[in-house]
Amino acid sequence: MAEPESSTAAAGAGGSRLRNAFGGVLCAFTLLLIGVLAFSIRLFSVIKYESVIHEFDPYFNYRVTQFLSKNGIYEFWNWFDDRTWYPLGRVIGGTVYPGLTLTAGTIWWLVNSLNIPLSVETVCVFTAPIFSANASWATYLLTKEAKGTGAGLMAAAILAMVPSYISRSVAGSYDNEAVAIFALIFTFYLYVKTLNTGSLFYATLNALSYFYMVCSWGGYTFIINLIPMHVLLCIVTGRYSSRLYIAYAPLVILGTLLAALVPVVGFNAVMTSEHFASFLVFIILHVVALVYYIKGLLTPRLFKVAMTLVISVGLAVCFAVVAILVALVASSPTKGWSGRSLSLLDPTYASKYIPIIASVSEHQPPTWPSYFMDINVLAFLVPAGIISCFLPLSDASSFVVLYLVTAVYFSGVMVRLMLVLAPAACILSGIALSEAFNVLTRSIKCQLAKLFDDSPAASGDSSAESSSASTSSTNSAKNENRSEKSETAPKEKPSKKNRKKDKEVAESIPAKHKKEKKLLVLPMEASVMGILLLIVLGGFYVVHCVWAAAEAYSAPSIVLTSRSREGLHVFDDFREAYAWLSHNTDVDDKVASWWDYGYQTTAMANRTVIVDNNTWNNTHIATVGTAMSSPEKAAWEIFNSLDVKYVLVVFGGLVGYPSDDINKFLWMVRIGGGVFPHIKEPDYLRDGNYRVDAQATPTMLNCLMYKLCYYRFVETDGKGFDRVRGYEIGKKHFKLTHFEEVFTTHHWMVRIYKLKPQKNRVRGKLKKLKSGSKTSSTIAAGRKKNPWQ
Amino acid sequence: MAFSPLLLLAVAAAAAAAVSFASAGADDLVAEMQSLRSRSPSGVIHLTDTSVTRFLAAPVPRPYSVLVFFDAASLHSKTDLHLPQLRREFALLSASFLAHNPASADLFFADIEFSESPHSFTQFGVNSLPHVRLVRPEHSRLAGSEQMDQSHFSRLADSMAEFVESRTGLEVGPIVRPPLISRNQIILLVILFLVSIPFAIKRIMEGGTILHDPRLWMSGALFVYFFSVSGGMHGIIRHTPMFLTDRSDPNKLVFFYQGSGMQLGAEGFAVGFLYTLVGLMIAIVTHLLVRVESLQTQRFAMLAVMVVGWWAVRKVIYLDNWKTGYSIHTFWPSSWK
Repeated sequence: MAEPESSTAAAGAGGSRLRNAFGGVLCAFTLLLIGVLAFSIRLFSVIKYESVIHEFDPYFNYRVTQFLSKNGIYEFWNWFDDRTWYPLGRVIGGTVYPGLTLTAGTIWWLVNSLNIPLSVETVCVFTAPIFSANASWATYLLTKEAKGTGAGLMAAAILAMVPSYISRSVAGSYDNEAVAIFALIFTFYLYVKTLNTGSLFYATLNALSYFYMVCSWGGYTFIINLIPMHVLLCIVTGRYSSRLYIAYAPLVILGTLLAALVPVVGFNAVMTSEHFASFLVFIILHVVALVYYIKGLLTPRLFKVAMTLVISVGLAVCFAVVAILVALVASSPTKGWSGRSLSLLDPTYASKYIPIIASVSEHQPPTWPSYFMDINVLAFLVPAGIISCFLPLSDASSFVVLYLVTAVYFSGVMVRLMLVLAPAACILSGIALSEAFNVLTRSIKCQLAKLFDDSPAASGDSSAESSSASTSSTNSAKNENRSEKSETAPKEKPSKKNRKKDKEVAESIPAKHKKEKKLLVLPMEASVMGILLLIVLGGFYVVHCVWAAAEAYSAPSIVLTSRSREGLHVFDDFREAYAWLSHNTDVDDKVASWWDYGYQTTAMANRTVIVDNNTWNNTHIATVGTAMSSPEKAAWEIFNSLDVKYVLVVFGGLVGYPSDDINKFLWMVRIGGGVFPHIKEPDYLRDGNYRVDAQATPTMLNCLMYKLCYYRFVETDGKGFDRVRGYEIGKKHFKLTHFEEVFTTHHWMVRIYKLKPQKNRVRGKLKKLKSGSKTSSTIAAGRKKNPWQ
Repeated sequence: MAFSPLLLLAVAAAAAAAVSFASAGADDLVAEMQSLRSRSPSGVIHLTDTSVTRFLAAPVPRPYSVLVFFDAASLHSKTDLHLPQLRREFALLSASFLAHNPASADLFFADIEFSESPHSFTQFGVNSLPHVRLVRPEHSRLAGSEQMDQSHFSRLADSMAEFVESRTGLEVGPIVRPPLISRNQIILLVILFLVSIPFAIKRIMEGGTILHDPRLWMSGALFVYFFSVSGGMHGIIRHTPMFLTDRSDPNKLVFFYQGSGMQLGAEGFAVGFLYTLVGLMIAIVTHLLVRVESLQTQRFAMLAVMVVGWWAVRKVIYLDNWKTGYSIHTFWPSSWK
């Protein structure tokens, strides 16, 4: 490809075909390696711990997948779960995004029908890494549409190890985002592909991919707002084309119909404000399309008349629809927007009006170090990528820029949305790096050719040799081959049919291009330095990503480890406790705990819980919070009314595990007090400080949570020293009247108590009559109040 | 002991008279307060040294509580105290209370200015601002009245309302904020917007407007990127200042805050600038510098870019290390160590 004009035409064509084939194979091989990299960098958690599902929400997804694989899809669709939110239950089939579960279920079914006996858990653990590999391939496709193969490979490699995405997709983190990011990128790819080709085939695929995204994650509203924004931008900047129409109109119609099929979305797909933008743009697009169509039919003078007519009619229709939309929006209490969406539009909204959203740590606005942690050196490269996308601006590159700008703004409002920013940052950094390498290696190549002043054909070979020396320069050398072709591509928009023809065109064009490009070189020694510096920068990135994958994001939080002088300590108390529950309690017993442990209890112990991490019923949670904050007797009454047999608390005071129930307790008080006003937060605080030592208030020292956590705690070291809080506890010796301890795990991290049964009243009365004043007076006084004891 | 019933009677009569006198006086005071309140647009009574003694030094129990805002015109220029803003919020609280309980005589809102009435400041024992105190009916000493603590300023009028509701048991009602633009203005703007639509469409159809200039979009995109990665939204949502003054040395300014949960405005923009700078330089080299003819210029410019780029990246890594304690380090399997 280097000097095709010098050799004969036939030989040049043959050589370049070989080179293209070689490039294609190399590209496929690189993509395979990138997939392996994306998969394997996420296995640190399995290697360092074990193949186990992480955290809280994944346990729910795991349980749903288990149900699906056991009972089939129809049972799953109608599943009413009576093991949770007792006595209300939960309609699982209608309230989950089924994408992840169906995906893992399908993989499991496929693997088993191939006679590979994998357990459901194994499939769930490895779903996220598999889909990370898919996501990096989708990134390749999307970037290739915008800026050519070289940029695509670079972006895919960067995405394979971006820390922000790793944090949500390590092996075992079986959550919606793992699948959804792939679906997001793939939908964008299909949109851009349709935009470039104008093919209805891709438009249909795009709607299906959008359907998959709707199935997977609530973040699909990002797509259904971003694509209309891009369409509007194209119209406003005068880039309307029939390809734009084909890319957008089928997506809205098919996509909305398909989205309404997902039970959890249902009529929200047409009723909530998040979707209205797409309909409005749909109408505008039609008006514009009509205008362009008429423009093609009529003479300029007639067109002017017709144009006024069309615009006035179009505007009238538009206003009518806007009026209907406004009426619809105004009739709903939140103006049709969910609180989270509103807090994205008006960043100060949540902090003012929705303290629950504002209090969640992943809804905080990030500071600049968060960007350095999550996308690392990509933050330096993105601006260069933005500028590259504008030179020249195509439909695809403008979409990529729009995606980045919206994502970076949203990530600035909520740190959680860094996850959506990560692919955009990877794509633009890939473009920037690829362009930089392209320029620098081209400079070196041309200078080398000048230096040796050999025959031009030989210089082409030598550059091919030198480029295979290191992988990064291989990529960039290949970029060159590809980018020349891709520069012509956006203008021509080749369809599948005339691709062959297009290739021939592409081969003949570089002759002209080369002449111009030969001048666009930089001094050689500076180029070498520049390449070295960029490689150092990339090296930083790789080192940081590996560290983040290995150390920062791999802890499963169900098994804890700590390193000390004696060696590694493993705290496996959670699974110990859940196993005890499943082996020692009746299958229909109800277990009460704070909502954090609800999913794990149902999934691992298979026992009915009162509340879980799907916090849909605030009153129910407040009831549990109130019970935990009440004195023993009142708590017993609340739990008894809910048929609770066992109470589970998580206690970290012995081993120093900071996220235990005592540290979460103020939230229980707050949430409980929000519904039941007799629970007042100041009663639990001494001078505004939360403490459980000798200075603690009597209400605090008598509440159920304190008692269940610190019962017999003084027996461990004789002083009752709490390692998390760092002081001795306030009340050390006390007895439980309404609860009895049935199990405490090895490191005391989980403690399970049983509610004492209510004593038979008649017998108690008889006994009292018989024994008279035999019992000691102090206990008798207590007994009069407590018929249970 | 014959006179004792008589004496008792006399004492009782005197006491009754005193009580009735006192209540008559109190009624006068309430009426006076109400008339003062009606004179102010938001219902905040302006107190001076003399009126403080008159209304607040009255014998306990007074028939009313007073929420006093301590103001100092000389400190309005100090932006970190937010005095003017808090004073506006206080007026809003008062107006909302009045709207919800018209003609209430249980709670009055008042403010005192420092240069006018320094004596009252000492009486209340106020030596730092912002400061709000609630004088309840049973407080006999002014300094014994209850101070609203800092946390109740955080969400402005809403949190102040919570304080009032929890301490007095009176209901403030919803805080009524005046809309940013009035109804008529909104109608006017909507009409203007509607009228301008056809013209805008015509211009856009013709092409060549400012919207068709990619440079505008490019700089817009770069600006949004710069603003977001510098944590500008963090500053807006959390109301963090651009910089702080050093506690130990008031002449020194603190631009960088150690600890990852918080950042100052200037700090964010500085790092955001470095983030953007490196990217811009790479773009310049790849797109602009290659078009330059002179090799010497190219060489010199690339050297400068590489030096500055190296410095900027190192600076960010250093600052990140200083702020969060994280330094880029390799991960080795434990058996390799």
